[in-house]
Amino acid sequence: MNDTVLQTRGLTKYYDSTPAVDHLDLEIPRGCICGFVGRNGAGKTTAIKLMLGLLEPTAGSASLLGCDSSALTPAIRQRIGYVAEGHRLFRWMTIGALEKFQRAFFPKQWDDKLFREMIEYFDLPKKKKIKHLSNGQRAQVSLALALAPNPELLIMDDPTLGLDAAIRRQFLEGMIELIMRQGRTILFSSHILGDVERVSDRIIVIDKGVLRANCSLEQFQRAIRKVVLSFSGDVPGQVDIEGLLHCKRGDKQLELTLVGADDEKVAALAKSIRAETYNVVTMNLEDQFIEFTAPANHKRLFQWEER
Amino acid sequence: MALWIQILPGSDEPIYLQVVEQISKAIAKSELASGDKLPAVRKLASELVINPNTVARAYTQLEQAGLVVTKTGSGTFVSDPKLRRSDAADINALAERMDTLITRALNLGIETQDLTKLFDSRLAKFTGKSDKRTGEK
Amino acid sequence: MKFAALFGKEFRECLPWMLLAAIVLLAFGSFFLRAQAYDMNPNRDWSRGYNPPGTAVEAYRLTFNSPLAMLGPWLFCCSIGLGLILGARQFWIPNFTRTWPFLLHRSARRTTILTAKLTAGSTALVLAIGGVWVSLYWYACQLEVFTVPPPARVFIHGWILVIMGLLTYLGTALSGLSEARWYTTKIFGIAFAVIIVGVTTGEWSLARALAVIAFGAALLLSQLFDTFATREF
Repeated sequence: MNDTVLQTRGLTKYYDSTPAVDHLDLEIPRGCICGFVGRNGAGKTTAIKLMLGLLEPTAGSASLLGCDSSALTPAIRQRIGYVAEGHRLFRWMTIGALEKFQRAFFPKQWDDKLFREMIEYFDLPKKKKIKHLSNGQRAQVSLALALAPNPELLIMDDPTLGLDAAIRRQFLEGMIELIMRQGRTILFSSHILGDVERVSDRIIVIDKGVLRANCSLEQFQRAIRKVVLSFSGDVPGQVDIEGLLHCKRGDKQLELTLVGADDEKVAALAKSIRAETYNVVTMNLEDQFIEFTAPANHKRLFQWEER
Repeated sequence: MALWIQILPGSDEPIYLQVVEQISKAIAKSELASGDKLPAVRKLASELVINPNTVARAYTQLEQAGLVVTKTGSGTFVSDPKLRRSDAADINALAERMDTLITRALNLGIETQDLTKLFDSRLAKFTGKSDKRTGEK
Repeated sequence: MKFAALFGKEFRECLPWMLLAAIVLLAFGSFFLRAQAYDMNPNRDWSRGYNPPGTAVEAYRLTFNSPLAMLGPWLFCCSIGLGLILGARQFWIPNFTRTWPFLLHRSARRTTILTAKLTAGSTALVLAIGGVWVSLYWYACQLEVFTVPPPARVFIHGWILVIMGLLTYLGTALSGLSEARWYTTKIFGIAFAVIIVGVTTGEWSLARALAVIAFGAALLLSQLFDTFATREF
């Protein structure tokens, strides 16, 4: 079994003259839940569609389970689950008919019990047509259809967009159940950083088509920190330190958001600008993400990647 | 065994740390007695809807702190308090934490005897349950 | 099993339109057939009315002076119309309902998916229009007023009109798949199909009519498979 389930090399996609995805280099190892985050229009959906061979790259390549994305064989596709954004299904079909349709493509691996249990748990009547379901119910059907074939690699494009907390929780539960089976990998994009924090092992941050971070969630959370420095005299004007994301000046205080600055660097900085005291504050993932992807920081072309 | 953990994803504290702290607290309050078995990693991950690796990490940290012991094949158990050892480094770290607390209190203008009283009352919440511990398993 | 599932799904989507077209054609067709039959001189010798072999066929006129003449335009319109509708249903609607990603991420090759679509659509068209045409022809043969039942050539001419629907079907499909904007290459598929149909209706030889249809269909099919293989969804 290959260790890398998903790989992209210089993956690029141009629409007119703007790159939606710009030289993306990714490697996702087997067995992890990978949260794919980025602001609206950052290129998440485009990247995912490129990985699944639904779009043709302008340059570079992507591969899933060792197979090039532009030539995914039926056998490989059978091992990959995909929940597309919007959960668009055939509106005229009933849930039962959709089940039959989906099952036909997974003759040996379809978990009938799981599908039935999920549909029962969601309280969905099999005879109901998709067009009569709410967005949330459609998402639930979509989840059941994706999990029942017991996929080796599950890719979900913003699966909980616009859904209530209860359904979001169901998606997370489904992901946790899947990941506990041997050798499964999940890649999901999301705007809800709380969900990402809950279940992800790794985090990928994309901004304006460019990869900004690709590391374990722990590393990301450890690396972005806020330092509050207090001064008895004047607060310094220019602060020069590597990895500065944001600088907020108060009356006697300076609040710096830094990435990749360890305790030594912070201490050295405090000394160099003659701060009286300083305090390192941990941040929650949402704030870290916001600071990390703030437009001003993009201009710095700050990129940070760790395995 | 009464173990109730609540995860707050939006908080400043990483999730694994929240688990570590809540289990530590439960052990300190004797809600988890020595020899009690912690839930299996998968079970806890499933219940809390968090990544199993996060739970594993929390358990590892607890083990490093000497609060729990993992027996391969059987699970993770609360360690015997008599076997827990605190070395000079632990005492120092504790002292530093106390300094932070004292600094805060003094800056707020709290009197020394009020602070001591507050400390005693909070301590009682933990150790006051020690009499109920016997017989509870 | 996979092809069956795909075919079943596609055919089921074509079914309502298939039935609608069939009912319309059957209703109007049989009405006009009866009206024509009972309006005319019951003793008229129809053998004189038929064009001798070798003369202009003009397929859309469907053997002028025969009791089935009135059916020609109806057959033509229903066939072309159903072809347009089925092509749109299978290849335009998914653009709006955005179900392509769900359909295309299958353990089946893209060519298989396309083949299932085209087979289902073609079958629906032939069953609906062809089936009704066979019924109407049979009905015409039963009507007692005709001393001479319509010859086999009429039957064949009718089938040519049925097959013309396949051209508009393929043309609409190609236009639906095209990623170009309107007024440019997007309309190519439909335009090409219309041209081929026009040429066929003016064609005087049965063999040449079939050849034109075959040529048009082959071109459209090859373009369809090419486009589908590389199109972005």
